[in-house]
Amino acid sequence: MNLGAVIGITGIVIFISLYEWPKMGPTQKKEKASFITFTALGWILAVLLLFIPDLPGPTQLVRAIFKPLEKILER
Amino acid sequence: MIEKGKISAFQMASLIYLWVLATAVLTIPGITAKFAERDMWLSPIFGSLIGFLTVFIMCQLHKYYPNQTIIQYSERILGKIPGKAMGFIFLFLIFHSDILIVRDYGELIATAFLTKTPLMVIMGSLVLICAFTVRSGLEAVGRTANVILPLYIFLLVLIMVLLIKDMYPKHMLPMMENGLLPPLMGAALPQTWFSQSFLISMLLPFLRDPENGMKWGMFSILAITLTLMATNLTILFLYGAKTTADITYPLMSAARHISIAHFFEHLEAMVMAIWVTGIFIKLSLFYYVLVLGIAQWLNLSDYKQLVLPFGFISAVGGLWAAPSLQDMNHFLTNIYPFYGTLISTVFPGLMLIVAVIRKKLMGADEDCSLADNRT
Repeated sequence: MNLGAVIGITGIVIFISLYEWPKMGPTQKKEKASFITFTALGWILAVLLLFIPDLPGPTQLVRAIFKPLEKILER
Repeated sequence: MIEKGKISAFQMASLIYLWVLATAVLTIPGITAKFAERDMWLSPIFGSLIGFLTVFIMCQLHKYYPNQTIIQYSERILGKIPGKAMGFIFLFLIFHSDILIVRDYGELIATAFLTKTPLMVIMGSLVLICAFTVRSGLEAVGRTANVILPLYIFLLVLIMVLLIKDMYPKHMLPMMENGLLPPLMGAALPQTWFSQSFLISMLLPFLRDPENGMKWGMFSILAITLTLMATNLTILFLYGAKTTADITYPLMSAARHISIAHFFEHLEAMVMAIWVTGIFIKLSLFYYVLVLGIAQWLNLSDYKQLVLPFGFISAVGGLWAAPSLQDMNHFLTNIYPFYGTLISTVFPGLMLIVAVIRKKLMGADEDCSLADNRT
């Protein structure tokens, strides 16, 4: 089941790349690099969440930083 | 400049109105009622002070650095590396809010309407339609807001009017029984929603009539305050303070309550229309600001290639945002009021102070000459 999901995620990523890649000009090197980076990040995030659903995210990070203030608005 | 489209100040005002109200109108009354009880209708007034302050700070910063967004001028104000760090903090807040919005939308639709549809499908379809809008540029987002605004206000007013016969204004008495503190505590959540108006700093450079930006910004904050007060009063008159505090989405329950001659019933579909259209604008805007901000942060020449990758990240991130609805609501109630306002009002406020001091120290012409040389 997980393998199917990985194939599905990869399919979406390939579809996005096929759609977006031809629209970028040959001179837009930085744009291409940013596109590859963020698409890869998305793929990694999706696959990680598939295997570790409780992956700590930005919410846990912010909560750790603001922990002392958490109790003020407790009701 | 990356964005070539222009919007009018009125379109910006309708965007602010929709993006602040979109989630506020459904989730805030219940949480405000927990703190403020009978005085929950006062809370938006206190909250709006932060809104007016934020709009004022953003318009002042815009005056110093016209044609630039907050991501660009934070580098100019604070220097290269601290400016980039500040830009990253803003982008982090925008990204985090973006995935929280996606999740919020998914949870409401999944619990109230489409109980058997997987969360991912609900969130993915919203993100996909927003991606089309964002890819078409700012003008498309602004015009969509203009089209949706009358419908949004009409449905909201209609729900309130249809509920009039069930209202008991006595629920609001006695007023301010425990002093001003409870409504002030209740304002903790609304004020952070108002502070989201800091996103106008990403829109002000693209205004067709920048001289009206401040006026319309303030006007929309006023309109939001009045709408939130009206919503809170409706719900208070209908349920009283104690019941409201126990409902997650009071407006939804209120709409279910409507029954006129056994003919007008099950009007929660109207609330769904309000929710979907509002969230659509809100997410489009956050999403647009996110990709534009990242493109400017990395000095790219275009943002369009980032739209689909970030759509994918946002849809997946919706699941990443919080383990459960309870967890997310706890975060939004207890931490977001500090976190959101710190980044979106306090930090820009400090930046404004630095900008004013810099201007005083270095003389007026330094900024102007830099403004002409920008890339």
